[in-house]
Amino acid sequence: MTDCWNTDNGEAVFRTRDMVKNLRIKVRVEKVTSTAALSQHLQHQVLSQQQDGGAIELQTLTSQGHKGDNEEELVVGWQEKLFSQYEMELFENEASCQTPLERQYHLEVKALKKARGRRNRRIFTYTDHDRYTNSLPFNQLQYSSILLNTSKSWPTFLAERMTSLRQRGQDQQKIDCGVPKAKIINWEPTEEFVRNTHVVNNVMQTMHIMADLGPPEKLGQKENECLLVTIKTDGSGTVIVKPDFNKGREPYRIVTGEKKEVWRLTVENASTVMKPEQKDREQNIYRDLYTQHMDYLNSLVGQDFEMPPVGVLRYLLNGEIVSAKGFEYDNLYIHFTIELPTNWSGSPNQSLSGVTHTCRTKPMGKEDVAFFSHLFSCEASYTCDKESEGTLLQWPVLYFKVLSLDSWQRCRTEGYGYLLFPAIPGKHTITCHTWRPLQTGTVSALRRFFIGGSPELEDISYVRIPGTFKGERLSRFGFCSETTGNVTFNLHCMQQARSFVDANMLRKKRQRVLNQLGGFSQQGAVSSVQEAFQKARKKMQEAQENLPKDLISSTSQLQIELSSQLKTI
Amino acid sequence: MAELHIIGQIVGASGFPESCLFCKWGVHTGAAWRLLSGLREGQTQVDLPQIGEMAYWSHPIDLHYATKGLQGWPSLHLQVWHQDSFGRSELCGYGYCHVPSSPGHHRISCATWRPLGTWQEQLVQKFIGGGHQLRKPDLIYSGADRYRLNTEAMGTVELELDIILRHFDKYGVNS
Repeated sequence: MTDCWNTDNGEAVFRTRDMVKNLRIKVRVEKVTSTAALSQHLQHQVLSQQQDGGAIELQTLTSQGHKGDNEEELVVGWQEKLFSQYEMELFENEASCQTPLERQYHLEVKALKKARGRRNRRIFTYTDHDRYTNSLPFNQLQYSSILLNTSKSWPTFLAERMTSLRQRGQDQQKIDCGVPKAKIINWEPTEEFVRNTHVVNNVMQTMHIMADLGPPEKLGQKENECLLVTIKTDGSGTVIVKPDFNKGREPYRIVTGEKKEVWRLTVENASTVMKPEQKDREQNIYRDLYTQHMDYLNSLVGQDFEMPPVGVLRYLLNGEIVSAKGFEYDNLYIHFTIELPTNWSGSPNQSLSGVTHTCRTKPMGKEDVAFFSHLFSCEASYTCDKESEGTLLQWPVLYFKVLSLDSWQRCRTEGYGYLLFPAIPGKHTITCHTWRPLQTGTVSALRRFFIGGSPELEDISYVRIPGTFKGERLSRFGFCSETTGNVTFNLHCMQQARSFVDANMLRKKRQRVLNQLGGFSQQGAVSSVQEAFQKARKKMQEAQENLPKDLISSTSQLQIELSSQLKTI
Repeated sequence: MAELHIIGQIVGASGFPESCLFCKWGVHTGAAWRLLSGLREGQTQVDLPQIGEMAYWSHPIDLHYATKGLQGWPSLHLQVWHQDSFGRSELCGYGYCHVPSSPGHHRISCATWRPLGTWQEQLVQKFIGGGHQLRKPDLIYSGADRYRLNTEAMGTVELELDIILRHFDKYGVNS
């Protein structure tokens, strides 16, 4: 006789794109009494007997008296106000109505009394506007005495702040997503304002479905009111239902009164479902909207994209000279050139060299650093022709030299360096170390200090591999240099070629096939292919066995006919 | 048509001699680029750090570009200004950096510099502020005229940018 109860009455959060006024909830309360249980048991027995083929049809024992006393089922819409017995009596007198809302209730109650009466008996609702919504015992969850098992506890500071922001959606300020044109800062916030904005609050509309679970003769007592379901929604499609819909599971259990009566609560979603044609129409509308938007975007820019000619690799380098540090003198500037080897060509109207501004250093840590933030960009195309197919691809080089110029117009070389264009596209941060040629002896050092001249390289490509170098071994024997500071570059490179299109598509296709086979490893792929093969084979065998018999017989008939014909011939 | 999304923030600035800073930023692109949504330029709030010396702005950048070619890749230009207690604004530095071309999360430190005048002007600047500014900050992009400038190194601006590329691989771009 004991039913199983659903003890999971936490709240459930639903998200919907539909308007919340389409929500309908069916609530059913049923009292669990001994007679009811007994009559149910008897009914089950009788039904089972009848099913076994019992001859006598017994009239089942229905529960006597008013069925509505011990059970009620109701479909409630969103913010639908249903009055309880207590409220009916309360709002009958005009004197007790204080707010305009209550006066409106008074009119509604009078109209209901003139008509055939209200359709609910025990179950009633509190909507968002009622004055009782704030003072429900459910509210007391804010205080930790409900959460903890101490007898006395005081609400925390945060709990106090949060209690005041229930359901009073009209007072709270909604902050716009757009940039506010008016004052951004509130220099004198009121206490209310502070309470509302210092904690996270979603403006929620609430509705409580209650039931008056007293004895049937004494309906209308405030103490017998019991909260059944709470529905909350914010304006953006979130609906919170506490407790959750039963969805076919066991009903919830409510225990009331001093006599500890047990009631069963079932909650169901009774909203009308959208018909499939309407769903299709909605999908089509969305799809049209999106394609329209895509067409608009395409029309802004155009569908084409600049592609290099066939067999050409286009290399695009966006770089910046960031900083130089660790050099001997101040007021540094950098002069750089880009060299393109054979088979490389640059676009005609770009300059392959540049000079930065002169920058006075500042101390950062132990070294002096100069910031340039000099942007440069280089676009080069590589054409592969048959002669150079055997040799390795040579990438362009950036040569630079760092010089210093002071207020007395003394110019000194501070260092030489080079940077090879990266072969891998992406972002590269490269720090190049520099050196400067050194002439041994005091005369050159004195000259450098006092007047400012210093030896320079005639051919800057000597920094890496001199242009005039032909041979196998590069020897720099006898060349003296001194290490100076370093220069930092940030490079972003991109490469574009027509052959990459197919490679990318191929890579994507391979990835897709691998994913479909369900494994990233080769082994996984092979075993899953084998499994699939076995399954297919089994299916084919079964299909062969299940071939319709007449087909086989017809073929055999054909054979007989053929053989008979042959015989006749 | 390929699309580029730049989503990120200007985190803050550090290394400047003054502390009450704000930043004016903008994005500069070539002619083939079209801004589909987002604000191309803006100005942060003034931040005065109480603890430490880094000024934090956390200013959002959210841009959506469409392009027909790879030339003219977007670059970011920044101007850091100092607002003193009298309400005057003084230039603290210019910084330039390219928007990264590889997809993913990038942390960028953009170095800044400030134009310098003669030593007399520097002395005056030390006392009453002011100082030279570029007549048009856009002249810098071509790079041809930069060598005329005398500058001094200032601080760095930190940025965090997330780059999302779309349809670039369809046109054979590896980045």
